[in-house]
Amino acid sequence: MILRDGVFLAMRAITAHRMRSGLTLLGIAVGIAAVILLTSIGEGVHRFVLAEFSQFGTNIIGVAPGRVKTGGAAPSGLPTSVRPLSFDDARALQRLPNVTAIGPVVFGNAEIEGNGRTRRTTVYGVNEDALQVFNMRVAAGQFLPRDEWEGARAFVVLGSTLKNELFGSGNALGAKLRTGGLQFRVVGVLAPKGQFLGIDLDDTAFIPTARAMELFNKEGLAEIHITYAEGADASKVAAAARAILTARHGREDFTLTTQADMMRTLGNILDILTMAVGALGSISLLVGGVGIVTIMTIAVSERTSEVGLMLALGARRGTILGLFLGEAVVLAALGGVAGLVLGFGLAQLIHLVIPALPVHTPVLYAVLAIVLASMIGLAAGVLPARRASKLDPVESLRAE
Amino acid sequence: MNSPPTALIELAGIERVFRLGDSEVHALHELDLRIDAGEYVAVMGPSGSGKSTLLNLLGLLDRPTAGTYHLEGRDITTLSPQEQAQVRSQRIGFVFQSFHLVPRLTAAENIALPMMLAGVAPAERAKRVTQALDDYGLTDRSHHRPDQLSGGQRQRVAIARATIMQPAMILADEPTGNLDRATGEEVIRLLEELNTRGVTLIVVTHDAAVGRRARRRLDMEDGMIRADTRVAAA
Amino acid sequence: MRPVDTTRFALGAATGNRLRTVLLMLAMSIGVAAVVVLTALGDGARRYVVNEFSSLGTNLVIVLPGRTQTGGFSPMNVITGTPRDLTIEDALAVKRAPSARRVAPIVVGTSEISGSGRLRETVVVGTVADYYAVRNFTMAQGRFLPEEDWTRGSPVIVLGAKVRADVFGSTPALGQFVRIGDRRFRVIGVLGTSGMGLGMNTDELAFVPIATAQQMFNTNTLFRILVEARNREAIPVAKEQVREIIRVRHGGEEDVTTITQDAVLATFDRLLGTLTLGVAGIAAISLAVAGILVMNVMLVSVSQRTSEIGLLKALGATEAAVRNAFLTEAAMLSFAGALLGYGMGQLGAWIIRELYPTLPAYAPQWAVIAAIGTALVTGLLFGFLPAKRAAALDPVMALAKR
Repeated sequence: MILRDGVFLAMRAITAHRMRSGLTLLGIAVGIAAVILLTSIGEGVHRFVLAEFSQFGTNIIGVAPGRVKTGGAAPSGLPTSVRPLSFDDARALQRLPNVTAIGPVVFGNAEIEGNGRTRRTTVYGVNEDALQVFNMRVAAGQFLPRDEWEGARAFVVLGSTLKNELFGSGNALGAKLRTGGLQFRVVGVLAPKGQFLGIDLDDTAFIPTARAMELFNKEGLAEIHITYAEGADASKVAAAARAILTARHGREDFTLTTQADMMRTLGNILDILTMAVGALGSISLLVGGVGIVTIMTIAVSERTSEVGLMLALGARRGTILGLFLGEAVVLAALGGVAGLVLGFGLAQLIHLVIPALPVHTPVLYAVLAIVLASMIGLAAGVLPARRASKLDPVESLRAE
Repeated sequence: MNSPPTALIELAGIERVFRLGDSEVHALHELDLRIDAGEYVAVMGPSGSGKSTLLNLLGLLDRPTAGTYHLEGRDITTLSPQEQAQVRSQRIGFVFQSFHLVPRLTAAENIALPMMLAGVAPAERAKRVTQALDDYGLTDRSHHRPDQLSGGQRQRVAIARATIMQPAMILADEPTGNLDRATGEEVIRLLEELNTRGVTLIVVTHDAAVGRRARRRLDMEDGMIRADTRVAAA
Repeated sequence: MRPVDTTRFALGAATGNRLRTVLLMLAMSIGVAAVVVLTALGDGARRYVVNEFSSLGTNLVIVLPGRTQTGGFSPMNVITGTPRDLTIEDALAVKRAPSARRVAPIVVGTSEISGSGRLRETVVVGTVADYYAVRNFTMAQGRFLPEEDWTRGSPVIVLGAKVRADVFGSTPALGQFVRIGDRRFRVIGVLGTSGMGLGMNTDELAFVPIATAQQMFNTNTLFRILVEARNREAIPVAKEQVREIIRVRHGGEEDVTTITQDAVLATFDRLLGTLTLGVAGIAAISLAVAGILVMNVMLVSVSQRTSEIGLLKALGATEAAVRNAFLTEAAMLSFAGALLGYGMGQLGAWIIRELYPTLPAYAPQWAVIAAIGTALVTGLLFGFLPAKRAAALDPVMALAKR
């Protein structure tokens, strides 16, 4: 039998009982829609988070003091009795090939007093490269100037929220701020950057690293950010950095994390979450499959005499099997298409209602959805179709 | 028009035994039969005589428990199910009492069904269906579904379907059973016309009037052929 | 028709076509089973976390250095520096709060412990004797840190179970010496194995007196101060007292965050609870699909049993009676399927408990009732249309059908 005829006969059978076929189709459609909706949200979140991450640039390696043991990660920032990271360490790393910027970082929490107001905020001790590393833009004035790290002048650059809270719409440049007994002069204000994974980047003050070390009474750096050239091999840069620091410290008492590593780990976690959520949706698909089995079983029992007729007309048993199987697959595939449209539409609708929730339906998912639906139809149709193909022609013709 | 007789059908020592619970039923017993091409045979007998079983056997819908069946010189009983299906498709046409038209297909599509199953190309199918519709006066009914056709029209569609693959023989099981007398006569006339063109016609019937029209009559009882009467050509 | 007869009629219809009935029940049961298993998982996770938190000791108020303007708990607060230190003296002052029963300041850092020829990088916690009671620890050997002046630290150390195993292996640890940097410590105790507590597995920790730890890590500021309130009702009072004490000591500046363990627990509880609900909801979509199937099959049923229905009506059955008969059939199918699903779900939850004994995977009652209830309602809802159709059949037409 030509495939086209098979599809034609399947379509005839499906349209002969519109309500029945429609409901069966609906079962699969709901299942596919659930899967598409959930995975679209998952994929949307995945892309969103990765985009947020990459706003820091992807060419960053972070160095933190202390070694992370497998199975028991010590959070970075804990004091350690091993050698702390120092400015000299940072300078040594600066000389590495392919390194475009070095950022020695110290951070903490402090109350800043200025313009008659006070605000509790995050304070970052950074150097002039931080602008590039954090992918920020200056809205007014300038960022921290290039200064000798140890003796850096007491300048401060304000995040947009901090500036607004302290100075309102007035000019902040040149103003004096006090914090922790130290005084700083405002040299710049940053453009709004937004939140990153819950951390408000605009409610931040940037001061030179050495001054932050003074403020928080720290002896070593919390982290060193290494930015390397675009296209350079991250692992090579990391290896070189590791070698230099190990030589300087006597042993490997620090931890290197490449941005790529972090993104990959994060990506993996998000993927697993998306798949888990998709699996939840496919419980409905399972039930939809049971629906197809049920309806096809009914169809076979109703069309028993028809099977006898086809056998009498010279149809092979394989053809009978194929016809019923094809019907199940076409039914399921149609349900898949309907579910795809429904799921996609729902995802877009939800995004409209809640703009903060990102959605994205990759073409791959759409294709997979149809394939999945068809396979469910195939699996569900096998048993009834086999039953049909095994019918005895004489008995079948006698059936009502 | 007597052509030299070539054995179309040869049954030898046919047994067909059914198991019903604990007992055995001999639907066909010690059956020998030879039918030549072009014959017009009526198979008659009371219910339970085995006439329907004989027809099913001849049409390859059923297998004998013992004995051999040669069709056009081939031993059918040794054929694989696929080969048997092919024989049914190309050499045999069925006409049933209850028509057995597919309710969701139009008249034209029903007629085309055997060709679809055989994989005939759509263009060729369309040509032959149009011709058949014309031959049987169904052209203006071609897009109607069976439930929109009269009994006689349905049987005509069934006959058109049975002949579309140009089979060697037509097996008709009570073809007039569900029709009124006038329509029934028309249907028998159509079948006889096919026979005059050389198609072997085997009709199972309990209607004596139909039986009388055949040129050869087999009377069956208890699974055996009691009488095999040939009537002079009318 | 009497309810008994209605039921019998419905039962007869169901058993008359066994395969169909089984398939329908299967469809319903998948949905219910999924909800039961998933809520068991989710609730198990929630209870696990809550239990683990409770192992921290109850009635806790936790003081962290640093504060956001909004006063909330943010990831940035996990480890941060402040201009003014949170000191041992602050902790001592807090100890005098009327509603505080026990106070344990802690300092945390990473270091290499060497002993018995082996080296192990470990998270070291500097704290005081009361920490033991605050955290509800049990000792496997020896004792915890001694009761002493907080500003002085004797050179003793208590090891977590895994640290002990890693450093000492099969040789006894009690009374032995370990080195951290250029200091020697005598092992006076080994902790019993315990689970996670606020993110750090105590088996992988080592405890030294707080003053020693401060010197070791060269830090004057505390990591946390744990305060155990006198009793449950005293928690909010204790929180306020602690806040005030530190604020006064810090020149009127509020540069610490005070949270109650309850609040943290409540957040997690709510989070996991919502998650469980969401997951169960998604699983319950399958019940809707099962309902669609019920409607589908019953519609087919009605059209196949048309003559039977016509006969019933001819024999005097009212429309209501016919409708009830079909609704009963739908209800019975759904209920049977739901029960089957409940059984399958409980089996699944049992299997999970066997595989992960630490996870109390029990399906909460609300979930079970909701699942079975939803199945029933779905069945009735989707059975309504077919029942209505059956009831509306014209007896003459119905009987005339082949």
